[in-house]
Amino acid sequence: MGDAVVDLQEVGYVVAGVTVLTSITLQLEPGEVLGVAGPNGAGKTTLLSVVATLLAPTTGSGTVLGATLGTPGAKAVRPRIGLSGHDPGLYADLTLSENIRLWARLAGVPESAADDTLARVGLAGAADRRAERCSNGMQRRVDLARLLMLEPSLLLLDEAQAGLDNSSEPIIDALIDRCRATGGGAILVSHDASRLATRTDRVETLVDGALGR
Amino acid sequence: MTSDTTRSWVNPVMGAVSVLAIGAGLWTAFTSAPDSEQGNFVRILYIHVPSAWLAFLAFGVTALGSAGWLIRKKLRWDRLAEASAELGVLFTAIALFTGALWGKPVWGKYWDWGDARMASTALMFFVYLGYLALRRATPDPTQRARRSAVLGLVAVVQVPLVYFSVTLWRTLHQPFTIRPDGIQMDSSMVVALLTNLAAFTILYVALLVARYRLPGEVAGTATVPAGAAVTAPNLRSEP
Amino acid sequence: MNFWSQALVIARRDLRIEARAGEVTGVILPFAAIAVFVVPLATDTLTVRLADLGWPVYWLVSLLFGMSVALRNSATESPTQRRHLLLLGVDPVARFAGRAGAAAVLMIAVMSVTAPLMVLFYDPDGLPPIALWAGVVVLFSTGLAMLATLAGDVTVGLRARSMLAPLLVAPLAVPLVVGSARAVESVGRGTSTLGPLMLLVIADLGLAISAIVTAQPLEEATT
Repeated sequence: MGDAVVDLQEVGYVVAGVTVLTSITLQLEPGEVLGVAGPNGAGKTTLLSVVATLLAPTTGSGTVLGATLGTPGAKAVRPRIGLSGHDPGLYADLTLSENIRLWARLAGVPESAADDTLARVGLAGAADRRAERCSNGMQRRVDLARLLMLEPSLLLLDEAQAGLDNSSEPIIDALIDRCRATGGGAILVSHDASRLATRTDRVETLVDGALGR
Repeated sequence: MTSDTTRSWVNPVMGAVSVLAIGAGLWTAFTSAPDSEQGNFVRILYIHVPSAWLAFLAFGVTALGSAGWLIRKKLRWDRLAEASAELGVLFTAIALFTGALWGKPVWGKYWDWGDARMASTALMFFVYLGYLALRRATPDPTQRARRSAVLGLVAVVQVPLVYFSVTLWRTLHQPFTIRPDGIQMDSSMVVALLTNLAAFTILYVALLVARYRLPGEVAGTATVPAGAAVTAPNLRSEP
Repeated sequence: MNFWSQALVIARRDLRIEARAGEVTGVILPFAAIAVFVVPLATDTLTVRLADLGWPVYWLVSLLFGMSVALRNSATESPTQRRHLLLLGVDPVARFAGRAGAAAVLMIAVMSVTAPLMVLFYDPDGLPPIALWAGVVVLFSTGLAMLATLAGDVTVGLRARSMLAPLLVAPLAVPLVVGSARAVESVGRGTSTLGPLMLLVIADLGLAISAIVTAQPLEEATT
């Protein structure tokens, strides 16, 4: 399956003698949305980091957006990957607008587009407030605005709904719909399988670093 | 490099050879002629000079191991760098200590700022104490290898500059002591010096091989799959 | 986006954060000023000439507090922030250049305040030309910023970081200290200025090359 968005074959990841992932084989076809459920410490975040090309598999092989994991070529697809986790990663001393404009500049996106996406997530009024004075929910919405702005082909959401109010649900839906429509893909991860069912095409279960239905 | 841990004869044989070599070194050191000016104090140099030589050799090997790791990403290069850095610190300490012991009777003081080599050797000692501290502070083996390889490379670029800068500093601050230029060396003294240089180098190689093999023997138990490894204690021996 | 614009964006980010957080101007700089002030109080001024201590104290304070500037908390990126930059495709060398550049600018600011204080409190004999002092401060800060940023990167995320990074920097910064001190005193002594300046330039070049060679593996170390 050479044209799969994500194709992992027997991928394992060991750090400091501790096996985090064991023999993970999974495919994500274009337009597909996959859910991965599992308890805390099952290796969900590590799996997303491997798919995001940030961690090289210690065993096995895989491709993401056509690039082979663990090779220098994997770096080329990074700008097409959108990863969002528990921590929005804002700079506490910068305003919400300055935060998203920083990413915009580095991504080569016009700053007006950055401000627009901030408005799309309902934060236009708080744009000049420092991140440290914003609630965690607001900061998470800035992170979603970042993904809206960067328009990634592969969306990786780690506990996306956690800490977000209902008004943010349509944003997540919009992000997923865009990936689906453009032939990309998305992987959603949560400890709560019931949250994944409504948005995903199928749900895999990750326990102790291994996949099982 | 012997990465094969099944060769159990290596350590005893290398140990025996180095004991014989050091024995020969000591014999020549104590039977050679005393120096015309320094008297018996010259015998300290038969330990001091080989230690200083090994300090530089060991740090060169550490840089080699660091570069090897960055290119090949194989942990055995990291083990080589680590083993050699530990020995480098040890021999640098011996060189500094014996240098001070020799300096007191011959130059009249333990520490002489007029000698660029002393200051730069002391600085090199601190550089590699930091290197070992970084290794101890980094729990994950791959991260430890990567970070210490980077530091090992930065250090090897900077150490010649440290030496050069201390020399530059020294040339502007004239040394306080006049030391004898061109020690008249008896042939027995040359033999003693060369024997000890060889003996210490053999000792270094024996210790390097022994230390290099040590974590490999333990690492075999640390990479067993899945569940067992989660609870396996970290058996890596630390300096 | 090319290398220099990336580096510039990163440097501006760090300087803007400093403008808000005030860690250098509000904490490190006053502390450095106190250090300059305390040495005379610990000196027996009947037997020791303060004028002779001025420059040594200046370079020591510049080294110690320059390291604090480069390793300041507000410039330490969180793992998520580093991940964002990685996924945006920021060149690791550009990221290094931006952070080291911002640190150098802040170091120059600190050294520009401590220099007149040192002259005021110690009254050293014969001051160097301002241009020479400024050039030396730029070369010193650039080198120290690169060295301390490298040390900060190899110790990122480690519990022992706050003392470990300075331990790694201090002995390797000796060429910068020696080169700076010798260059500034050369005018009064009538010795060569070129030699010490060359030492500073070579040390800066060596550190720049080290940073370029090691930026890639270091980037992997920080994910």
